[in-house]
Amino acid sequence: MRELVTPGELLFERPVRMEYTFIDNNRTYAKVVGLFEKERATLIPLEGIWTPRIDDTVVGTVVKGRNSVYEIDLSYFKRSILIGGMHETELTPGQVIQAQIKDIEDYRTLILFRHRVLSGGVLIEIKPAKVPRLIGRNNTMVNQISELTGTTMVVGMNGVVWLRGGDVGLATEAVLKVETEAHMQGLTERVREMLQQETKR
Amino acid sequence: MASKANKPALLIDGKRRDGRGFGDLRPLNIEAGILKNADGSAYVEWGNNKVLAAVYGPREVQPRHTADPLRAVIKCRYAMAPFSSIGEHGRTGPNRRAIEISKVTREVFENVVMLSEFPNSQINIFIEILQSDGGTRAAGITAASVALADSGLYIRDMVYSVSVGKIDGKLALDLDMIEDNYSEADMPVAIAPRNNEILLLQMDGNYSREEIDRAIDMVLEAGKTISAKQREALRSSYSGASR
Repeated sequence: MRELVTPGELLFERPVRMEYTFIDNNRTYAKVVGLFEKERATLIPLEGIWTPRIDDTVVGTVVKGRNSVYEIDLSYFKRSILIGGMHETELTPGQVIQAQIKDIEDYRTLILFRHRVLSGGVLIEIKPAKVPRLIGRNNTMVNQISELTGTTMVVGMNGVVWLRGGDVGLATEAVLKVETEAHMQGLTERVREMLQQETKR
Repeated sequence: MASKANKPALLIDGKRRDGRGFGDLRPLNIEAGILKNADGSAYVEWGNNKVLAAVYGPREVQPRHTADPLRAVIKCRYAMAPFSSIGEHGRTGPNRRAIEISKVTREVFENVVMLSEFPNSQINIFIEILQSDGGTRAAGITAASVALADSGLYIRDMVYSVSVGKIDGKLALDLDMIEDNYSEADMPVAIAPRNNEILLLQMDGNYSREEIDRAIDMVLEAGKTISAKQREALRSSYSGASR
């Protein structure tokens, strides 16, 4: 049974260490609006900001740079720097890339590495809090969307999604459906139904 | 303006001008998440007050030198729309009063937002009074706290705020503009309901010690209603969420 909780609500009368909660006076409280499951002791936030973590996959556009050091726009307020390999082709401003976070320097600058150029396609932005739902458990949701629409997708933890090929319009619709209905159960089923209906036509 | 000469009757047959009892709130209605561009937002109608609150952040600190490498800084702007008022408030631009209210509101939320989770960043809280009828700072704080929860920033609690005044020698909750102008005292209070911490307490006029105790009790009693409305607003913005 999932229950919607609001910040400051008491979750446990004892201290329980879990994400998106805080412990005060040996009691556990929520610090975000989210869905709480008492049995599994999980709180899934419904709104939220992305806190960058090392190894997160991100999608962004090149802003400027040369000699293998580039500034990347991740739609995030902190500066991100991509450090490429020595003998790779130079990136040009405007190119879309996928990369991983190597390090977060002084809480200020994200250092990216292992980049891959994503050519063509379109970018859409969703709320970073909904990204885990879009990926799904073991990538089920992304795989389902790309199988049924034939679109190649790359989902960045920063909330930027890259789509290319297949029925991009339909895939975009599915992604936005996941974003608006992320808090409802049985979403994977409903997205499949929607996609199957649309592809039949 | 308010003077003894033109004071209207504040109590009619032992009741207040609008027929409320002394511990009654004005009708309160809260909606969460109504501005799409903001990270979090809320709209509050509290009697004749209409308040819009928006929260942005964490974002880059502007100007840069105000940044704190260990925690977020909150910037708060309370403003009355030029068309907001039935009285003389609400001229354009920040004035003494708006700057003061922005400051006390900021200090309320500095106690509630988990600032150290967002180092080197800035959180903007905007409170816009569209229509005012007394008690707008309380309505603003109540709205901003829903907007903060809606933004997904980490907060310890959802603050509510309400004022208690003294009209014709009697304590009365949630004064409107006329009652406020001719009251003997007015005291806005902001409370963090989790452990009933007082985060804001300002006072105009005089209260005795016992009256303050009684006033705080009235606030805590009314706060249950306000808190419930705030949380209900968040819930109903996700209709069908618990199923």
